[in-house]
Amino acid sequence: MPDYSLSELSALTGLPVRTIRYYVAEGLIPSPGKEGPSTRYPDTTLARLRLILRLRDAHQPLAAIRARLESLGDDEVIALAGTDTEQPRPGSALDYVRSLLAGETPAASEERAPPPSYVEPDADILAAPSYPLPSEIEPPASMPPPRPGAALGERSHWDRVVITPDIELHVRRPLSRPANRMVDRLVAFARQLKEEE
Amino acid sequence: MTENTTNLTVRTDRRLVRAIHHSTRYALVEITAPPANAAPVRPRVNVAFVLDRSGSMGGRNKFDLARDALREGIERLAATDRFAVVVYDTEIDVVAPGRTADATAKEAAIRRLRDVGPRGGTNLSGGWLRGAEQVSSALDPEAVNRVLLLTDGLANAGITDRTELERHAGELRARGVSTSTFGVGEDFDERLLGAMADAGGGAFRFIANAAEIPALIRSEVGELLEVTAKDVELRISGPDGLRVEPLAAYRFERSARGGVLHVGDLVADQVVRLVLAIGFPLGEPGRDVGVEFAIRDRAGSLDGSATLAWAFADGIANDHQSRDRDVDRVVARTYADRALRDAVDLNRRGEWDAARTNLAAVARKIHRYAGHDEVLRGIVAELEREAEAWSVARMEIDRKQMYSRSAYALKSRMPDGAAQRRP
Repeated sequence: MPDYSLSELSALTGLPVRTIRYYVAEGLIPSPGKEGPSTRYPDTTLARLRLILRLRDAHQPLAAIRARLESLGDDEVIALAGTDTEQPRPGSALDYVRSLLAGETPAASEERAPPPSYVEPDADILAAPSYPLPSEIEPPASMPPPRPGAALGERSHWDRVVITPDIELHVRRPLSRPANRMVDRLVAFARQLKEEE
Repeated sequence: MTENTTNLTVRTDRRLVRAIHHSTRYALVEITAPPANAAPVRPRVNVAFVLDRSGSMGGRNKFDLARDALREGIERLAATDRFAVVVYDTEIDVVAPGRTADATAKEAAIRRLRDVGPRGGTNLSGGWLRGAEQVSSALDPEAVNRVLLLTDGLANAGITDRTELERHAGELRARGVSTSTFGVGEDFDERLLGAMADAGGGAFRFIANAAEIPALIRSEVGELLEVTAKDVELRISGPDGLRVEPLAAYRFERSARGGVLHVGDLVADQVVRLVLAIGFPLGEPGRDVGVEFAIRDRAGSLDGSATLAWAFADGIANDHQSRDRDVDRVVARTYADRALRDAVDLNRRGEWDAARTNLAAVARKIHRYAGHDEVLRGIVAELEREAEAWSVARMEIDRKQMYSRSAYALKSRMPDGAAQRRP
């Protein structure tokens, strides 16, 4: 059973360390006791954090999340956090083969992923990855509406660049290289302003 | 940066990712299977040998050689194993129904196989499915359950659609039955046999000359008897928004924060190196983003994990970061092998320009980051040569050679298709 340091938990969930400490203080995840650099957190803490993220994305207030977590055992938390457990497979191999031999079409167990597309080794120089990003599939509710006149089904998505916890820059991608450079400069300037504060 | 456990190593080409743009970085994962003596007892084998007996198999002694190789394979099985023998042309005959490989069963199967000769058309799907039925009827989760299919021709009866057969091979794999395929000569469809083996979690082997049939079957049966890690899975997980794309030809189930790559069965000391393209979400400069890689297998002989951390940074730091050239080389080789495999298909369809343009485009991309690295420049030069070579009609045997060479490489196999092992 793997365990994790605070920084590993932060890296694996994308949550800042101070947020995780805040969740411990708020009782959303169990306290590890005395906290120090060598403190290890169990597997279930990672599952709890992922469930919190999922509930937070569903716009549940912290109090409701806490109530929900309190009502759940570790196993339920792991199940709900959506660890990558196997899907149940319908039918045995023998049933599957026999229905094919009988000329029937057996039910497929899952949708197959499309074959991998070419990704350029230095694709990050070009702004747009060659696959849809998660935000393209499920835009967060706080996203601004698509710009007027944007073609339906156009392959674009919004990215949120966090300047401070309260200030964000929203960028519609893909962008041209000059526009990307402008974003770089805007963000650099905004961060400089923040430091001057 | 390298993360190690005994059987798993993970490295990346670059440690920094862009804070306000989406980066793609590559993870090079190396999995090493345990040695033969690590497991006190080898997993049992539950195998069906499926042999094409269509008329064309009579040429160049192909059928006789295959039959002899099969006999030798059967003789190597232990009394704890199970086997079945199926031959097919337009009709399908179960020569030996699945049963325990004791001396009586082996003798009976070999005797009956002696009376079988080549004839008729090619119901590849029927023969393969009968073989799968024999294996499935005594499916043993602890055993290596596999169908070995040998053919020299095109599927022209039964199910003949490549995509459909590939899908069935994947469905059977998910239900515990794997498929390995052997293509003999120049008349079989390597895309069909390659796709069935990729989806079926087994190996595809190309047999250019009939004389190689015994050696290749011997090698495959040998590997079957030397499996030390069964149904190996590589699990990748990181923060929300992480996008994983394997470049190697293994089945991949994507999930919200990563996915599971099904590497299949590994033989003693086998080394598999595979490349994953990882697309990153945006993040705050200075913060780390961790991705966990975990392997395990059904036999419990492989169990380990490694976490690799990247750091978000601004554009300038990203542009000036150092690269792990070893990783760059494997990534470039993988893209080259994929492009070469695709060129074969384009060449056969007469799309000369597309074959040339694709290879040249991959060469240009590698050239962009090759710098003075000789290995990378060598790959660029090779691709430029091949771009010319595949823009004219090629002989079928050349196409098969190139397809199998690149398909083997994409599965970390040796140039003859055998598993690559730790020295």
